[in-house]
Amino acid sequence: MKKLAFLWLLGCLSEVWGQGVDPLIPAQAVTVFSINNTDLLQKISIDEWITYDFMEEIHQELFDKSTENKTVKDAGLDFDQRLSLFYGKTPYYEVTGFTFGIKDQKALFNVFDDFENIPSAYQGVQIYQSLFNNLLIDKNQGVLIRVEPVEAFLNQQTDSLWYSRGNLSPFYAMDEDQLLNEEELFLEDAQKNLLEKNYYELRDSLQFDFQKKYYHEVLQGLLTQRKSLYTNDSIFRELLTHRSAGVFYMDNSRNIDRAKNLWYLKTVLPTLYLDVQELYDGNIITGDLILQESSVQFNLQARYSPALGSIYSEMNQAKFDPNIAPFIRSNQPAYFSYNINLRSAYEKAYEVLVPILSKAKDPEISFNLLLLKLGNALVNKDAVFDAYKGSLFMTFNGIQKVKTRKITFFYDEETFEYGEKETEAEEDMPIFTLGFSTKRKDIPEMILEHFSQVTSKFENKGDYWVYNKAIFDAAPVFLINAKGMFIVTNDRDLAENHREGYGKEALSKRAIKAIKKSGTMAGYANLQQVAQKFPSDFLDPSQQQLMDFLRNKTGSISLQSGETTEQSTSVTLNYSFNDTEKSSKHFLDLLNTLYLLTK
Amino acid sequence: MKKLLCFLFALTLMLSSCIEIIDDLSMNLDGSGTFKYTVNLSASKVKVNSILALDSFNGKKVPKIDEIESKINQFRELLKNEKGIKSVQTEFNKIDFIAKISVDFSSLDELQTGIKSVLTQLDPSIKYTEDYTVWIAWDHKSLQRMIPKLVEERIKTETQSDQELLTTGSYTCISRLPKTIQNSSNPACKLNPSKTAAMLRINTWDLKLNPSLLEHTLTLSP
Repeated sequence: MKKLAFLWLLGCLSEVWGQGVDPLIPAQAVTVFSINNTDLLQKISIDEWITYDFMEEIHQELFDKSTENKTVKDAGLDFDQRLSLFYGKTPYYEVTGFTFGIKDQKALFNVFDDFENIPSAYQGVQIYQSLFNNLLIDKNQGVLIRVEPVEAFLNQQTDSLWYSRGNLSPFYAMDEDQLLNEEELFLEDAQKNLLEKNYYELRDSLQFDFQKKYYHEVLQGLLTQRKSLYTNDSIFRELLTHRSAGVFYMDNSRNIDRAKNLWYLKTVLPTLYLDVQELYDGNIITGDLILQESSVQFNLQARYSPALGSIYSEMNQAKFDPNIAPFIRSNQPAYFSYNINLRSAYEKAYEVLVPILSKAKDPEISFNLLLLKLGNALVNKDAVFDAYKGSLFMTFNGIQKVKTRKITFFYDEETFEYGEKETEAEEDMPIFTLGFSTKRKDIPEMILEHFSQVTSKFENKGDYWVYNKAIFDAAPVFLINAKGMFIVTNDRDLAENHREGYGKEALSKRAIKAIKKSGTMAGYANLQQVAQKFPSDFLDPSQQQLMDFLRNKTGSISLQSGETTEQSTSVTLNYSFNDTEKSSKHFLDLLNTLYLLTK
Repeated sequence: MKKLLCFLFALTLMLSSCIEIIDDLSMNLDGSGTFKYTVNLSASKVKVNSILALDSFNGKKVPKIDEIESKINQFRELLKNEKGIKSVQTEFNKIDFIAKISVDFSSLDELQTGIKSVLTQLDPSIKYTEDYTVWIAWDHKSLQRMIPKLVEERIKTETQSDQELLTTGSYTCISRLPKTIQNSSNPACKLNPSKTAAMLRINTWDLKLNPSLLEHTLTLSP
């Protein structure tokens, strides 16, 4: 019996530890990218490798010469073990890092020479630190980990402490100081207690403290309790048995949990929150990255709870509307189509959500529920869902010069006095088109007629409408209500010359067939064209990072959704490239793109 | 305030390709006069509006249009209190993005000192040296003009390389004098038929390459 118990224990342990570095991924990780085929990384230079955004934790290594002319192979990594990148977020802290196998520890520290050994409280685990990065080595397995408090939480805690000490707003001082004369300013400076921290010093201290606290919390779970994402999640364990070049994991149920908009629900209506959370239980997205000769294929599978799955499966019972195809040009830099059965989805969502909302004891929710029920009983649903059936498309048509108005100055040659006059101007503008299929042409027409009576900016041009100065009081928007489609665009060429579609220039039969086959979602992007033409000035910093990265890439990305059941749905993303000899580089490129998108 | 100034500089920098500036000075015999400065961004209003719709741009907070207007008003009110400054008027066209300021002054020294003082009050962290805020010199016999150092430095740091776009922006320098102009040091400077006014117009691209193109001295008839 003892022998049996021992064998069983050995079996359990080998299941946990026999998979290499995976048990070192913290349980807090929400997103994980794991590269199984580490052979393909061996030829990439370290300098190149660590320029990827997913390696940002060790970007500091770029500033010294220790990585120059060295390949990943020289870094002492064990390519028989997989490399996994992880990212996680709780309401209080973010945890990022990667796990890897170590073949030659000496070689590792020759390359990554910024790390210093510090005493470890965990038996058998060596700990090294470099700035905010921590490197934990457990036998031949390593994890580079970084724990940072969430900025909003840190600011909230700093404010709380700052104001509790009787301080005024840290941002108020400058204007007030302007009213003080030099003597008063000097006196104020002299009275300041130099031992008392200012706002930013206080914030830095708290940041350091929280870093320490949450870093130990993560380590406690990982090294003392031996709890990791691997031990906690059977789906993740199963994913790691796949033989593809890389795998992807995202626990969307925990993403939902940390979403800010659920904070109110969580604190004020905890019962309802639990019900809504339950809806997202098991909403885990996994994927396989498959390396082919001239492409990388990314097969995604999204799993649902039965309730959410029932809504999605109803929603996805839709066919591609052929009316869309003529309005997508074959050489469009990017397009996307989305086909859902909105009516079925509505009916199912009503069936699922009404019982959940009915449990809430909140008067506001109760009133909204009443409105929902009344709407359901009284509104003509045939008209609503015929007006918008659920099929739509979007295209990015590149950059075009659009006509605007500007003020110029004219000069009197006798006196050089000057006056203003309005003239035509041209400015570059990204051109987008959004269209959806409709069975009820009369409904959008009725709305447009109404607007044209309210404002002269709406102009009826016969079979299309122009909303003048719609974009930033300068450029027009065109509304086309024809051929079973309602289209909104700032593309003058489409409105004036292609209201019936692009004819021969439209998508090929082959492309249409592929869209039809793909189900709910289909998309295509020519990476270079999109990145070159898209005005990234106006994107937020993380989106700019993605655009900057894509700017040097060639090839295209296509997206196709597959079958949807009550349990899951599948999506395939294909990244095709021309230079096949650099397939490992393209693999990392796609990985980096996905990392930036999911971060 | 510092953030706002930084943003406004970044904005004018980015749009220097399509910016039109008019630097208009009228002098009286006693050294007093009227100074008008106009910045016209109407040729870039789609871009300006797009930026204003953002929360942040190039890592800096984007102010609301009302905040910009309020800072222009603050500039006006502060300038009113400066020695030798009268009749300060500002105008801000929020639709076309045209900002204008008109100031009567007792002497050019007081005008330039006043502007420096207001800029320092608006952002005490920036220390302006003399050459930053002195771009006009008058000795009753001649008027010397150049590009304000502050503007020059900004144009120099402009990284946009699209020559075609840069050539559409302009800096126009107009000087109206109480006597006839005998001579202009800059052949590109145009005199009116009565020779009491001079106008020099340089496009942004040329100015970026050579800021001294705007320099000129007008010598008055004895």
